[in-house]
Formats: sequence, C-alpha cells, structure tokens
Amino acid sequence: MAIVAQTSKLGIYGRPALAWIVALVFFFPIFWLILTSFKTDADAVKPEFLFFFTPTLDNYLNMTENYDYWRFATNSVVTSVLATGVALFVGIPAAYAMAFNPARHTKDILMWMLSTKMLPAAAVLYPMTFLAKSLGIFDTHFAVILVLTLVNLPIVVWMLFTYFKEIPKDIIEAGQMDGVNTWGEIKEILIPLAWGGIASTALLCFIFCWNEAYWTVRLTTTEAATLSKLIEGNRAPEGLFFGRLSAVSAAAVGPIVVLGWFCQKQLVQGLTFGAVK
Amino acid sequence: MGQIVLKDVVKKFGDTEVIPPLNLTIEEGEFAVFVGPSGCGKSTLLRLIAGLEDTTEGQVLIDGEDMTEVSPSKRGLAMVFQSYALYPHMTVRKNIAFPMRMAGMSEDEQNIRIEAAAKSLNLTDYLDRKPGQLSGGQRQRVAIGRAIVREPSAFLFDEPLSNLDAALRVGMRLEISEMHKRLKTTMIYVTHDQVEAMTMADRIVVLQAGVIEQVGTPLELYHSPRNKFVAGFIGSPKMNLLEGAEAQKHKAHTIGIRPEHIKVSTKAVKGAWKGTVGVAEHLGSDTFIHIHGVEGCDPMTVRAAGDVAVKHGDKVYLTPEKSQIHKFDEAGLRI
Amino acid sequence: MSSRRLPRLLQAPAVILLLFWMLVPLGMTLFFSFIRYVLASLNRPEWTTPSIDNWRGFGNYAFVLDSKDFLFAIQNSLLIVGGILFLTVFFGVMIAVLINKVFPGQGIVRVLLISPFFIMPAVNAVLWINMILDPVLGLNGLAIEGINSVIASMRDAPVVGWFFSLWPEFKPISFRATQTSAYAVIMMVTWQWTPFAVLIFMTSLQSEDEQQKEAAILDGAGKWSQFRFLTLPHLARPMAIVVMIQAIFHLSLYAEIEIVSRGNGNKNLPYLIGEFANNNIGAASATGIFAVILANIVAIFLLRAVGKTLME
Repeated sequence: MAIVAQTSKLGIYGRPALAWIVALVFFFPIFWLILTSFKTDADAVKPEFLFFFTPTLDNYLNMTENYDYWRFATNSVVTSVLATGVALFVGIPAAYAMAFNPARHTKDILMWMLSTKMLPAAAVLYPMTFLAKSLGIFDTHFAVILVLTLVNLPIVVWMLFTYFKEIPKDIIEAGQMDGVNTWGEIKEILIPLAWGGIASTALLCFIFCWNEAYWTVRLTTTEAATLSKLIEGNRAPEGLFFGRLSAVSAAAVGPIVVLGWFCQKQLVQGLTFGAVK
Repeated sequence: MGQIVLKDVVKKFGDTEVIPPLNLTIEEGEFAVFVGPSGCGKSTLLRLIAGLEDTTEGQVLIDGEDMTEVSPSKRGLAMVFQSYALYPHMTVRKNIAFPMRMAGMSEDEQNIRIEAAAKSLNLTDYLDRKPGQLSGGQRQRVAIGRAIVREPSAFLFDEPLSNLDAALRVGMRLEISEMHKRLKTTMIYVTHDQVEAMTMADRIVVLQAGVIEQVGTPLELYHSPRNKFVAGFIGSPKMNLLEGAEAQKHKAHTIGIRPEHIKVSTKAVKGAWKGTVGVAEHLGSDTFIHIHGVEGCDPMTVRAAGDVAVKHGDKVYLTPEKSQIHKFDEAGLRI
Repeated sequence: MSSRRLPRLLQAPAVILLLFWMLVPLGMTLFFSFIRYVLASLNRPEWTTPSIDNWRGFGNYAFVLDSKDFLFAIQNSLLIVGGILFLTVFFGVMIAVLINKVFPGQGIVRVLLISPFFIMPAVNAVLWINMILDPVLGLNGLAIEGINSVIASMRDAPVVGWFFSLWPEFKPISFRATQTSAYAVIMMVTWQWTPFAVLIFMTSLQSEDEQQKEAAILDGAGKWSQFRFLTLPHLARPMAIVVMIQAIFHLSLYAEIEIVSRGNGNKNLPYLIGEFANNNIGAASATGIFAVILANIVAIFLLRAVGKTLME
C-alpha cells in the first residue's frame, strides 16, 4: 500500500526528534536566561561555569534592593489591568453595536480602527510627550493607562467583534422578542454567551499592555515606570551584573509567558483580526 | 385579539426595494402561511411584523393599533426561529422563563406556566438540561414553549421545521396544527415548502419577489391558481405547463394540467398525447412517470397508480381530464 | 427605528477616543513638520515655541531628505524588516509542517516553541545582546574562549597535538558595530516572531483539506509534490497575512534598536525620529510623516487582504 509505505522509519522517529531539537533550540535563550539568573554576577561571566555552577537564589532575593523590582512590577500590574479593563468597557459595547446592529459604514469604521493601529508610534512621539507634559499627566499612571488603552482598543474591538459575530443573530433577536432592552441584551445574552471570547481578549490585551515598550518608556520617568522601563534602563550592564539582571528579567517575563501558554489559540485570531481561523 | 394589518408597507434595503407597497390583513385566530421561493421576501415580511426590521414606509397595525414604531417586545407577539435561537447558556427551564422574567412576572406564576407548557410539549423531564443536550425536535419544542408562555396575541414562525429531518418534520407539523386548534391564537407561518403550506394553513399567501401573487385557502389555490407562478408553485409534483399548438386548441397562450389529472395508457388512445417514458419513480402508493416527447412540455410528469407497469422506453398515451385544464394568457394570468 | 439607534450609539465612545488619538497628535506632527521648532536654541530663541510665524514650508522635509542619516535609516529599516520577514516565514513554514503531525510530546514542543513570543521586547534585547551575543562576556564570547582553551590544551597532547596546532585561534563576532548590530536585531526579532508565524501556519494547516491530500496520494503525488502543489498554495494567504502584520510591527521597531545600538550609528526610521526629537522637532515631525506614509503603503495591502474575508 502506497500510503503505508510513505511512513518510513525516518518519518516515525526522525520527525519527532527534529521537532524536539528545534523546540529546544528556540527555548534555549529563555533557558539560558533562567540558568544565568541562578549564578552569581561573578560566575555568570566565567567560561568554566557555563553549565555547572553552585546555584544561588540571591539574585531573586535581592531584586528589591538591586532594582526596586516590586515598585515597577506593581506599576506594570496596575496599568495593564486597568488599561485592559477600560479597553473592554469601551470595546464590548462598540463590538456589540457593530456585530448586531451594523450600519452602512460599520465595515469602514472597523477598517479605520485597524488603520490607527498601523500609525507608527514614533511619528507622534513628540506631540504625545508635549501633550502629556502640558496636561500635567506626564509620568502618571493615568497617562500610561490612557495610552495603553488607546493602543490596544482596535485589537480589542476587532477580537470581540469576531467572537460576537459567531453568536447567531437569531438569539439576540429572540431576546428582543422576549423583551430585553439593550443593556439586557449585553448583560443577559451577549456576555454570558461570549464569555470565553471576552476572557481571551482580556488576556491578550493584558499581555500586550505588559510588553508594551515604546510609550511606557517614553512617557514615564520614575513614578509610573513599568517593567519595560526598568529593563530598558539597565540595558548596558557591561557584564557586571548579568546574574542579577537575568533574575529581574526572568521575573519580568515569567508571568506573561505562562499566561501566553494558555491563550495560543486566541492569539492567532486576535493578531490576524480573524482572517486566519 | 390578534388581527394583523399591513398597510401600504414598503421595505427597502439601501436602494433595492424588496417589498413594494403591500397590503394584507390577517384575521384573528387565523393560521396564515407565507410561502414562496427563497428570496421572495416572506421572511422579511414576517420580520417587519415582528418589528425586527424597520418598515421603510407604511404601517403595521396589530388589533387596530399602529405598531410601526413600537419595539419588538412591546408588540405582544412571539416568534419561533428557524435556528430555534435558544439561549445556550440557560437550562430549558430558564429559557422558557426568560420572557416572563423580562416582563417582571412573579416566580410562582412563572413556574405554573412553565409546568403547563412543559407538560403539553412533553418537556417535563428535560427542564434542567441545556439546549445543547437536546435533540432537534426537543429544541424546537422548547422554542415553542418559550413562545407559548407569553400568551402572545399572535405567533410568528420563521421556517421552524426546515432544520429537522423529514420524519420529525411531519410530526412537528401535526403538533403545531393541533396547538393552533387548541389555542385558537393567530399564527403566521413562513415556509418555502408548499406541502407545509397546504397541510397547515387556513389561508396561504403566495409571494414572489416581494409581491403577493395570490391569497386564498389551500384548495382555492389548488383549483384556481390566479397565474402561472401560483399554478407551478402549489401542488406536488408540479403542474405541467404546455405552450404552442396544444394551448392554441384551448384558445390560450399556456395551458396547465396537474400530473394527477392525466390518464396514462400503454395502448393507443384516440386524440391522446404521445410520449416515451424516461424514468418511472415508484413510491408504492403512487408512481411518478416522467415522459419525454410530448409536444410543448418536456418532460411531462404524470401521477399514476402505484402498481402501473411502465418502464424506461415504453411508448405511452396521455389523456388529460378536460375539466381540470387551467388556461393562462400571454401575461401568465388565468383566463 | 428608534430602538436601533441606541445600540448603534454604543460604538461612539470607542470611535471618538480613537479619533482623538489619531487626529490630535498626528495633526500636531503635521503642523510641526512645516515650522521651525527646536527645543533649545541660543541664537534663535523664538524657534523654541511652536508658532505659525516660524513657517518653513517643506524646508524640514528637504532637510531630512538631504541628511545622509535619513537614507541610511530607510535602508536599514528595510534591511531589518526584510530580513526578519524572510527568515520568519521560511522557518515558520518549515517548523509548522514539521510539528503538524501528532507525535509524542507535541504539546510540550508547542509550548516551548511559542514561549519566545511572549518575552517583552526590552528583555529580549537585553538578553540577546548581553548574555548571549556579547563577544567577551556573553555566551558567544564564553563559548569561543572555551573552545580556544580546549584547542590550546590539545596542542601539547601527544600524537594528535600536531593536528590541533594547525587550528587558528577563534575570534568571537562582535555584534556591537553599526552593521552587525542590525544583524543582531534581525536575529533576536526573528527568534521572537518565528513562533508567531508557526502558530498561524499551524492553525491554517489544520484546516487543510485531508480528502484533497488523499486524492493527491491516489493520483500518485509524492511528499514533495503534496507540499509544493497543495500545502504551499494553501498557506499563501496566511503567509501574506504574516508578512503584512509583521511589516507593520517591525517598521516601528524601537526598543530593540535602542538597547542594541547604544549610539553606534545603527538606526531605523523610528530611532532616527527619536534622535531628531532630542532637539529638532521640525525634522523629527517631517521624518514622522515619512514613516506614516511608509506604514500606510504597507497597510493598504494588509487591509485589502484582511478586508476580503472580514464581513462575509
């Protein structure tokens, strides 16, 4: 049989072996980061301790002392959570309106929203700094939350829109016949039905907020500075602090990488605006 | 309660007029069926009555009251959707209770009505299940239950049976008909299936391209279709339409004869139409014979007895019943 | 109908927010790009406030076009984006096809593979340029030093010593020069975004028509023909999407460049804007408008591709 013959021994053992090798190569830098984080700063730059060394937890225990880690982490959590919350609060009604009450220009509006995402941030760097400073919100949580919300709103609306569109219109109309008002439609029918989609949108939005590295760096100095700013500020340790820098970096990305594992599938839909399912 | 009047109703989607000015009255307690090919505007018409679409012009009156600008839930109508449109995150009980909860009805009253509806629809054992765990027929019953408990002035059905398999469809058809006899509430039923229309309706409204072609009882439509379209649409298998020399004999542009009004014979009959059997479909009770070579109509379909012995290639002679010939003029209207 | 108006109004807050977000700063950039505007000037203090009196017409644009940095920044932007796109699509397709079949540990392989995508850009850059690529203290330097010392010790070994004495001393590559740091950026971003391509291609492969494949096998198509004539065409659309989404993200690449380059002359368009913005706001704004135009050219293609399947 031709089909049976095609699955050669190489196919049975070679494919998984190769896949594992590729996966380990890709994961290696992260592994290296974690490994280095358990080395002392001195050991980290010695060739004899590449893989074998006496592990230490000091780098993690001293994160507060060395980098004031928790302050930056708190800022990251506060701004990311609130920005995600605001984006959902504004995005859910918008996506609902577009999915179930489309007007003639709905498609254009969606396209236009997407196009704001394509505006290169650098182009409006100075005006944003200027506005933030003249409004007195430079280096405040408010400014960071506002910008993070705006940056992610198009993706949030788009993702929610693609999820909402999967809900049969009949169900919303049945609700209308059964006597719910607009608020009831959202609360009683839409949110319970699209709960999974809303959760993954929130998760993805949170990840994007957490990793954002342009505005959070440019619009903050100390008060509202996030983890991106912290790492960016310590970008050139000249080999002196590889151990401690690795530890704080691992602590900055760890929670997000784990969160990311849970929403790989939604990531595809979110990042391709529903064009790949 | 339950008279519905459409007055000069127009519906446009953008620049396309899907329903030109249309007038229709559905009497209280009537079972009216909107039937027509897909895209004829029958669902749109139903949704206009429900309030799910806005009318571009004209008025919708329910029990004499102008409801054109009233929101769907305030019109006192209940609707059963083609997809059932059950709330998948709620149990059957909660689904049925939903409209009553929205109306602010007391829990006790809700429960009484749920129990009653569940009993009449054989759903008592399923009240705590989610719609996803039910069969198609059961879901349909839940959708009907959700409509019944509101005690609406009229029920609207939008192709409710088209997602069911053939056997279930016949059963549900009967259940809905019996429900109508019992409740005596106005019902408007949309379907593309003329068999459903014929079997269920008090009155049928035949639509094509947004225009009402004919309104009448099933037998009126069957016996005296107003035009060629209705003639072809009502009745199964379809009416045979002949043009040319044969029609000229009856002083018409087109004549129509239903398959059941043609006698078929393998022996030569004087003055009969001649043809060759293409396919003979044996249904047991009947045989549908598709015949080629009849002048002016190819293939011609004949409905014969179940045990008629014809096969592919047989020469046959066809005699129409004179009294059952329908005549149409050039515009397709009945003469 | 009146009952429909409220639901439609619900999109207003989002629309208004984004409208402000787009129009206000972009309008300011447009305005600044036509005036002389600097942050500090001893000779011309009047230029330090944005005012219509300092109108310069297209002078800022001419200034930017004349500066050799601009041409270099555009070239470098394109080199970096082009390099990343080619590598991520190539690796993405290969890996997606490789891991699409069920095998032991597929779940773990997927998790390991996707992880780099969630690393924050700042950490990505710091990790690569220091801990991995540093020619002295990073893995790059340490590994080569290790190899060299092994070779050195082998030179004195009996019997095989002569063989090792022929070996040269290896030199680690420095990624801190202008051009090599661009390669470093390509490397680290490729590492981060290949998982994204893999994920999308895998999702797409799962919707590949199995019956079509079986028909092809019965028609005598080999593995290569199946890949070439069925799988690749099937992936054409996701490839276009991967290319265009990445183009948009990478055209505004910033953190990586800033961390890696540290003023060694390596720059792309956003980085150049940042440099100008230290003082010459007029030039920064004109460069910004160029960046917007460049992004829009890419965006038009993306919107076309995505738009088709959007409202089906």
